[in-house]
This record gives sequence, C-alpha cells and structure tokens, in this order.
Amino acid sequence: MSKSPDIKGTDIAIVGWAQTPMVRRTELSETHLLVDVITDALEPLALTRADIDFTCLGSCDYITGQPFSFVVNLDALGAWPPKQDSHVEMDGAWALYEAWLRLQHGDIEIAVVTGSGRSSTGDPSLIYPMEMDPYYLAPLGADPLTFAALQARAVIGAGIADERRMAEVAVRSRRDAIGNPYAQVSGHGDVEALLAGAYVRQPLRRHDLPPITDGACAMVLATAERARELCERPAFIRGLDHRTECHNPSFRDLADAPSVRIAAHAAGLGDGPVELAELQAAFTHEELLLRHVLGLGDDVKVNTSGGALASNPIMATGLVRIGCAADHIFSGGRRALAHSTSGPCLQQNLVCILEGETSA
Amino acid sequence: MTRFVESTITFPYKRSLGPVIGAFMSALTDKRILGIRNGAEVIVPPMEWDPRTGAELAPDFVEVGPAGTVESWTWVPAPSVQHPLDRPFAFAFIRLDGANTPMFHAIDATSPEAMADGMRVAPRWRGVREGRINDIVCFVPGEQSEVEGTDAGAQIEPVVLMEYLASITYVNPVSPTLDRVVDASRERRLLGQQCPVCGRIYAGGRGHCPIDAVVFGIDDDLDLPQTGTITNFAIVTPTQYPGQTETEPFVRAFVLLDGVEVVLGYQPVVELPYTDVRVGQRVAAVWASPAEAVDTGGQMGGTFGQLIGWMPNGEPDIENPDLVNRIF
Repeated sequence: MSKSPDIKGTDIAIVGWAQTPMVRRTELSETHLLVDVITDALEPLALTRADIDFTCLGSCDYITGQPFSFVVNLDALGAWPPKQDSHVEMDGAWALYEAWLRLQHGDIEIAVVTGSGRSSTGDPSLIYPMEMDPYYLAPLGADPLTFAALQARAVIGAGIADERRMAEVAVRSRRDAIGNPYAQVSGHGDVEALLAGAYVRQPLRRHDLPPITDGACAMVLATAERARELCERPAFIRGLDHRTECHNPSFRDLADAPSVRIAAHAAGLGDGPVELAELQAAFTHEELLLRHVLGLGDDVKVNTSGGALASNPIMATGLVRIGCAADHIFSGGRRALAHSTSGPCLQQNLVCILEGETSA
Repeated sequence: MTRFVESTITFPYKRSLGPVIGAFMSALTDKRILGIRNGAEVIVPPMEWDPRTGAELAPDFVEVGPAGTVESWTWVPAPSVQHPLDRPFAFAFIRLDGANTPMFHAIDATSPEAMADGMRVAPRWRGVREGRINDIVCFVPGEQSEVEGTDAGAQIEPVVLMEYLASITYVNPVSPTLDRVVDASRERRLLGQQCPVCGRIYAGGRGHCPIDAVVFGIDDDLDLPQTGTITNFAIVTPTQYPGQTETEPFVRAFVLLDGVEVVLGYQPVVELPYTDVRVGQRVAAVWASPAEAVDTGGQMGGTFGQLIGWMPNGEPDIENPDLVNRIF
C-alpha cells in the first residue's frame, strides 16, 4: 500500500483491538477480564506483551470498590520486561488520548490502552450520586437517571428530540446489536409497544436507558511506520480533542453540548465528511442531541454496533466506540468519528477522527 | 460455581466549605437562601467561580427566594435510600425569586399530575438545621414556606464543615484459586501456584502470574513448606479511625518460605511480642482449629483461610544481611 502524502511519520494509528463479551455480571475479576482481552488484542497482530512500550489503563476505584485497583490490573500487562505505564480514572478513551500524546514523542512505537469495569460490583444508582457535587448534589442523592431525564426534557423542549424518536433510537440500536456478537442487549422492538411502557424518570422509559454491563476493552496503537507493518489498513488518528463543562448541570444549557462542538471542531470534523459515527450515547436522547450538535446528516451511519444502549461497560464504553469506528476503517472505510463522554448530562466529551490511507 | 463476597466500605468525610459555600450553608440554618453576584446575574446555589469562565467571584451575596418557580422536573416513582423523601416525589430545577440560575432540589408533590413547569414552590425547612443542603427537606407547592417539627433556630457560629458519610456495598467474585488455597488451609496445607511459563511460585491465592499474565488453573497448584525466615517487618502503632479495631502496637512480618522463592507479606506473628521480632528469625505457620471461624473473603495480602500467623520454631536465626531486601 502506498503512503498518503498527508500522513506524517509521527502520526499514530490504531492497529487492533478486542473486547470481552458484554454481560450483566461476569464471574471473572477485572484483572482476569484484562488478561483475556489484552491477549485477544495482541495475538492477531503477532505481538506479545514484551513488544509493548507504553500502557495506559482506564478504570474507576469507585466502581471496583478497592483503592488503587489499577495496580492489580497491571498484572494483566505482564510485569517483565518493564513497561512505562500510566492510568486514568476515566474511560479508556482518555487512556487512548494519553497514549496518543505519548507516542508522538517518537521514541517508542507501540502502546496498549484499556478500559475496564465491573458495574455489577456495586449498585450504580447508589454509587454515582457520590461522584456528584459533594455540597449541593450528593447529599440529595442526585442520581444519573434524574439528570438524564432533566436533559431529555431540555432536548425535547428545544425540538431536537421527542419520545417517539427516542424510542426509534432504542429500537434501531438493539436491532443493529443483533449483528454484534459482543452485545448484551439485542433484538427486535416495537416503537408503539415501547411507548406504552411506564416512565422510569419522566420522560425516560426503560428502553431509553442503557443496560448495566461488565466488560473490558483493549486497543493497540502504533506509530505510522510500525502500524503499516502490523496492519493492512491502519486506522490513523487524524484528530483527537476533549473538552469539559461545569460539573453542576443546573448551571448548563442542557439542550446544547458546547464541549462536544468545540472538541469536534478541534479534532477536525469540519475538514471532511465522515461515513460512520460511533457515539457514546447511553440514553436515547443523547444520540439525538449529539447528532444535532455534530451536524451529522442522515447519510452518516450511527452506532451500527448497537452503541451504549446495547452494552454499557462503564470505563470501557467510550473506548469500544473508538474500536468500532476503527473497524470501519480496517474494512475499507475512509473516515469515521468516535465520541466518548464522562460526567452527568454529557459534561465532558472526547471526539476522535479516524482515517484510512488513500492510494497515491 | 464462582463464589461472591459482599463487603461495605464506609468513608466518613468532613468537608471544608470555604468562604462561599460556608456562607450559603450558614444562612440556611437561619432559613435564608443566598446567591452570589456574577456580573448582572445571581447564581444560586453560590459558586466561588463563574461556571462558564472560571473567573473568581467576589463574595457579594444576595438573598433570594425562599419561594421560586419550577423550570423543569422529573418524577421519581421509586426513591432510593439516598433520596430526601421515602415516597414518590419530583426532582426539579427551581429558579428561586431573584436568581438567574435554577437550583436542583426535591419537591414533595402527590403525583406527577400535580407537577407542572411554572408552578410555584417554597421550602420545607428542617426544624434542626446544621448547615447543609438537606436543611431544606424539600420544596412544597405554593408560596408558603414551612418548618418540619419544632424550629430550633439558627446556628450561632458560622458553619465551616460538612459531614458526609459515603457508604457503598460491593459484591466481588472470589477467584477459584483463592478458594482452593482457603480449602487447603482447612487441612493445614499451604497451597501455592507455579506459573507454567516462568516457573515462579506464588502464595496467598493470587489467581495469575503477574510476569506472564497467565491465569492459574488447578494443575498449577503445589504444596509449599510451612517453615520460613522473617526477612523484614514493621511495627504498626494503631491510630484510631473509624473501623480500626486494634489498640496496641502489633507486627506485620515478611516470611521467606524455606526452599522456594516465595515471600508472604503482611503476616501476623503469634506468641511473639512485637519488641522481640528480628530479621533472620525462624518461624513456622500457625493454623486455626477447624472449628474456628475465619475470614475466607480474600483480603489484600496478609493471611488467608485457617492460616492465622507465624511463631518462632526454636531454630537459630539466619545471619544474612541481604535478607531485609526480600519483601517480594
């Protein structure tokens, strides 16, 4: 394959990735999940753990219930020969961001990033309120479903969504997930039947919510030359940016997502059309808001994997989105967008633009 | 069938409130709600910084409310233990009179049909107020504030701290390796695992080799010797914190097992005063009687199953200055 003139030697590409089966409750420890998924990511590339120069792990002590839980997870990487390692208390998508920066120093070639979480370990509805503003929100038990519902109302009020279109997102996502062997929730749904269901938090019904998922994801990144050796068609990271907004949703315009818009602009979304977008929309209205803010037309395929509505392994959901977008490039696609988010009501957002090389 | 263990972790936090949140909380004890000026706007609840720009705000407070208007709401049909009410209620964004931003709080309404954007609400105050957001139990429909129980009045001193009890219950799987190690301990066997790739031996029920990232199976099990040498130790003088049950100084020792490159960390010593523990001391495993109840949950390091610690076996000390380096 000939090299595209606009891709530089220091450019970084995704060359492979793997995910565990996404399930409601796994019997495996988080470390064990990572042992398996890192092996699954490396083996098709004929790499071993000894080839890894740098690692960054994304996980959350609050979910695991153990301080410094990522230290145990390092066992999954193989302690010898020594590697440079880092950790983010964030989705694996932000671990990818750090590895992307680190690889650009040019002194190393291969990085592995992971995202992992066992949400079944605790009760998410009781854990997440403790991560909110500790003075004004946590003492009220301000839970993520409540904030998602308040954002859904704002998005509906702005005319960007309505309950029917939200149900259509749910039906499409879970239908698309039939083709995804890793998905936790899939199948055929009927919009009318879904709209007859009870509210969990008005205007959200059960189908508007993500499942609770255990799972992990691992991804291999390489510098440009090495990427071309390892992979027939690497997914080059053409742009990557993340931005955040105020932590307290009551101070934000919830019918908008300015941090998404800024990150997408900085990542170069405007430089050319994308064929596919994988959006970390755990709630149906979030997909509609993200499509609106990103300006994605009907010609852009969205969440063909089923997205976060089919499997939502907290701390890995965003990295899986990037992996699914990379699959599009691996299989011949030209340009794709992946999005990850963190915090209530799409507070912090990461946008990644992936491209394949064109023939000269 | 994998075994799961349940454990509850509790963190009793004391949070400093600072000059802005502290002023807001102090005023709540006096049934007053403060906002802070941000240019032409009034932000409620007050922040130290402009939420959009991060610019520091001067402590220019404005009393708002106490009544306000519902801007948006959602219904909570099944409250959690953390929620302010134990019956179905609404969470809402409430714009208090005189404020430019909504405040998040609960509304005690009879049903979702009783809720509407634009409805007027007023606070239901707690009788005894300590300077926290829960001094407002919730808001109630109408213009009229109310007090729950007897009004104990305002706090005299400014409120500078807030207590918050974070308590979470976790359910974690126990690795099959640890279960085999615990089962073997009932027969007073010290079971280890040998990595099929590098040959290193591990004790304590670790389920995998951290060098080779290999998950152990039953074929990797082997019996370990039950005598060893103390390579290093620490004397722990307990400080009292919630959950600390020790009151007197105690030792945690590192024990290098005879004939294998295995160090057991954080081991208790038995019938050995902490002042008498030495590097090079020879020790043997001490097992609980089968009838004794022991923790089989798999702690971080330390003992496991029926193994309760190590006591001197009477052999002469080993003189080796390099021993202290063997803590792994």
